[in-house]
Amino acid sequence: MKLNLRLSTNGKLTVLKYLVAALLVMIIGSIIILSQGNSPAEAFKALGVGAFGSVSAIGTTIRWATPSIITGISAVIAFKSGIWNVGIEGQMYFGAFVSAVVGYQLLMPRGVHIVVCLLVAGLSGMIFSFIPAILKLLLDVNELISTLMLNYAALLFTEYLTFKYMGFDASELADAIATPDMQPTARLSVLLPRTSATTAIFIAIGIAILVHLLYKYTVKGYELKMVGENLKFSKFGGVNYKSTFLTIFLLSGFIAGMCGGTEMMGTFGKFRPGFATNLGWDGVMIASIAKNNPIAVIFISFIWGALKSGSFHMERVTETNRLVISVLQALFVLLVAIDYEALYKWFCDQKQLRMLRKQESGVQ
Amino acid sequence: MEDVILEVKGMCKYFGSLVANEDINMTVKRASVHSIIGENGAGKSTLMNMIAGIYKPSKGEVFVNGKKVVFRNPNDAAKCGIGMVHQEFMLYPELTVLENLMMGFETTRMGYFLDRKKARKDIQEICDKYKFSIPLDEKAQDLPVSLLQQVEIVKVLYKGADIIILDEPTAVLTPQGIEGLFDAIRYLTEHGKTVILITHKLKEVMEISDYITVLKNGRVTGNLTPAEASEQLLASLMVGREVLFNTQKQEKEIGEDLLAVKDLTVKSDDGVVKVKNVSFSVKKGEIVGVAGVAGSGQGELIESLFGLRRPESGEIRYKGENITHLSPRGHRVDRIGYVPQDRLGTGCARDSSILENCIMGYHVAHKFKNPLLVNKKEAEGFSKQVVEDFSVKAESVYTQIGTLSGGNIQKVVVGREFCQENDLLVVEDPTRGIDVGAIEFIWQKIIQIAEAGVSVLLVSHELGEVMELSDRILVMYNGEITGNLRNTDELDEQTVGMYMLGGKRDEA
Repeated sequence: MKLNLRLSTNGKLTVLKYLVAALLVMIIGSIIILSQGNSPAEAFKALGVGAFGSVSAIGTTIRWATPSIITGISAVIAFKSGIWNVGIEGQMYFGAFVSAVVGYQLLMPRGVHIVVCLLVAGLSGMIFSFIPAILKLLLDVNELISTLMLNYAALLFTEYLTFKYMGFDASELADAIATPDMQPTARLSVLLPRTSATTAIFIAIGIAILVHLLYKYTVKGYELKMVGENLKFSKFGGVNYKSTFLTIFLLSGFIAGMCGGTEMMGTFGKFRPGFATNLGWDGVMIASIAKNNPIAVIFISFIWGALKSGSFHMERVTETNRLVISVLQALFVLLVAIDYEALYKWFCDQKQLRMLRKQESGVQ
Repeated sequence: MEDVILEVKGMCKYFGSLVANEDINMTVKRASVHSIIGENGAGKSTLMNMIAGIYKPSKGEVFVNGKKVVFRNPNDAAKCGIGMVHQEFMLYPELTVLENLMMGFETTRMGYFLDRKKARKDIQEICDKYKFSIPLDEKAQDLPVSLLQQVEIVKVLYKGADIIILDEPTAVLTPQGIEGLFDAIRYLTEHGKTVILITHKLKEVMEISDYITVLKNGRVTGNLTPAEASEQLLASLMVGREVLFNTQKQEKEIGEDLLAVKDLTVKSDDGVVKVKNVSFSVKKGEIVGVAGVAGSGQGELIESLFGLRRPESGEIRYKGENITHLSPRGHRVDRIGYVPQDRLGTGCARDSSILENCIMGYHVAHKFKNPLLVNKKEAEGFSKQVVEDFSVKAESVYTQIGTLSGGNIQKVVVGREFCQENDLLVVEDPTRGIDVGAIEFIWQKIIQIAEAGVSVLLVSHELGEVMELSDRILVMYNGEITGNLRNTDELDEQTVGMYMLGGKRDEA
């Protein structure tokens, strides 16, 4: 894979835009931390140390970058084609539960077991995304609402299934309820010793690159993209939009389900209800920051992972609350969404207007 | 000395590095009709938008009644007596004409309550004075286009305009409607109002104007009166070379039926029957024009022909096969091409490259060497062919199509379908809103492709275009085909116009 590192003027502007947004986030973050009576310098230092300061810090960064990449790609698939799949979290729960059960129940050689777990995870996510897809295609139900609500259904239903699987007696220990440990043959190897980083990161990057290639070289990828650019135009051009919509839902659901699988096979090792605190939503945010570019998703996810890993450390060594980082992540999404070019144009117009008025008053 | 109402001196407008207007000087005399003509992208609209206070000039001055003015917004311009009627009407369909007229200029009692009575009286006075008869209590959505246009003009007068700018006012009208508009314009100028007219149509310019200003590439290339001008002269000033208006058509063989439509009935989205029991056929190598006032059912007819809308009943046969319920993809595979009216909404994806826009349709109809992969060489080759054959002005095929001018986008949209070796082309308003040079070019292409044996179904709201190109003309009125006329030299616009308005019909 060759990455084009020479940037066009357009690319330079985009990089500049990210830098401006990051700078603004830092400034606003400092103000928030100051307002809580803490030192921003100390907090950011702790953040940096927590993200990159040691092998274990780097491991944690990688650990959190992994699900961010996969859910981010799942969101990219949907958003690029104008489908608002915000049910990634729910699709991921199903993938995770099924792969955890398969990982415990079946006995297989190592390589095969991992592949099987990954595939059933993807398929479960895909089957769950089939519900909003059918609702949209047959009954024209807005997928934003159906996928959003199905997240709750998924969260509670997988919890129910866990109880069912473990026997309802276990419910006395509601906090500790989880599926049994997966077989070692279904677990991914640890990437850096004594850290939570696993080889799942390679699966994540692999998925991102495959999706990038899909858009770049295939006819289907072209159709997926054009459906998002202009649906009317695609219909007119002979794209079968119904089957394309179905593909988008299923593919996005498949990837979301795989994220659940890698989480189980990587860090967790067993399914615990509600394990994924907002991982699906992270994907939604990352896709919008990355402007639906699969390769950009990889980079943004590493920043995301670093922030997450750093924020835990920051909370331990300083007084600053970890939630500040969540606020800053959301702010970053907002600031990247701003159309700086239009803002600049407006500013120029105003300047020109002032000049004209000055001329006018000079004449009189 | 003559009475100058508006003077523009050294006006420039730059959009980034693009020069839209460069050193424009123009004087408009009171109570005259002053036409501004030029190709698309020549800077007419930019100039008018600056005069109407919508854009701010980069340089230059505007004088109204000899006094220098600077407009911050359209309201400032309105206060100086300048009003503009835009090409797209800015009326609220749900509101009555009276309410529409009051909008933004409400007369109130005690500051809060609308004073409809006074507004009605004032508006009625204006209507009486300038002989407009518009029903004030009807909803805007119930009125025909020609009346809506009058409403827009009255609105501008109500705001106290002395200078009325009309942007392409005749584009939406029938020949009869155009006559009515011209009568109104003459009446306005007799009563001391000044009219600035932006248009493409040279015939109209010659008929109505007192003065003509020609723009080309943002600069003035001519200031003249109709007496000094001729259509040929104006066209060459606009384009910078001689323009052939009369397309040369050769006698050609017309083959057997390629497309046969029988008793087709189509409903619009809201369930209204828009096409009623329509039957017609298109023969091989024939150009069949469809004329009609906008909204007579042409849009629905075309959509159902291309599989974008499901007909209620009837049958469409193509090459002898029933294609009534085929999807657009099936139509593409069967070598039917479609140039949609709405080039930005349906005809292209604005943020994508020229290449991505060119291969749409091609990728199903022709397929690449490997049908699963976009073959870069083939895609580039085809896009380059479109760009070269249709002389699209663009840096490369990877340029974003949205950055091109309207005429160039249209060339891509038309070129894509024409270069695909289709057997039938459904072409809808191929020259809408583009400049004279590009119109001539696209007309030539249509004639050429028909000579090569491709059938063309041409739907256009420009009657002139239909009459110029077609071998046969179908006239639609209210969802029915009321006329099936052979386009001979004897056929004139007035006759077709009568059919378009339902005043005349073929005996069935």
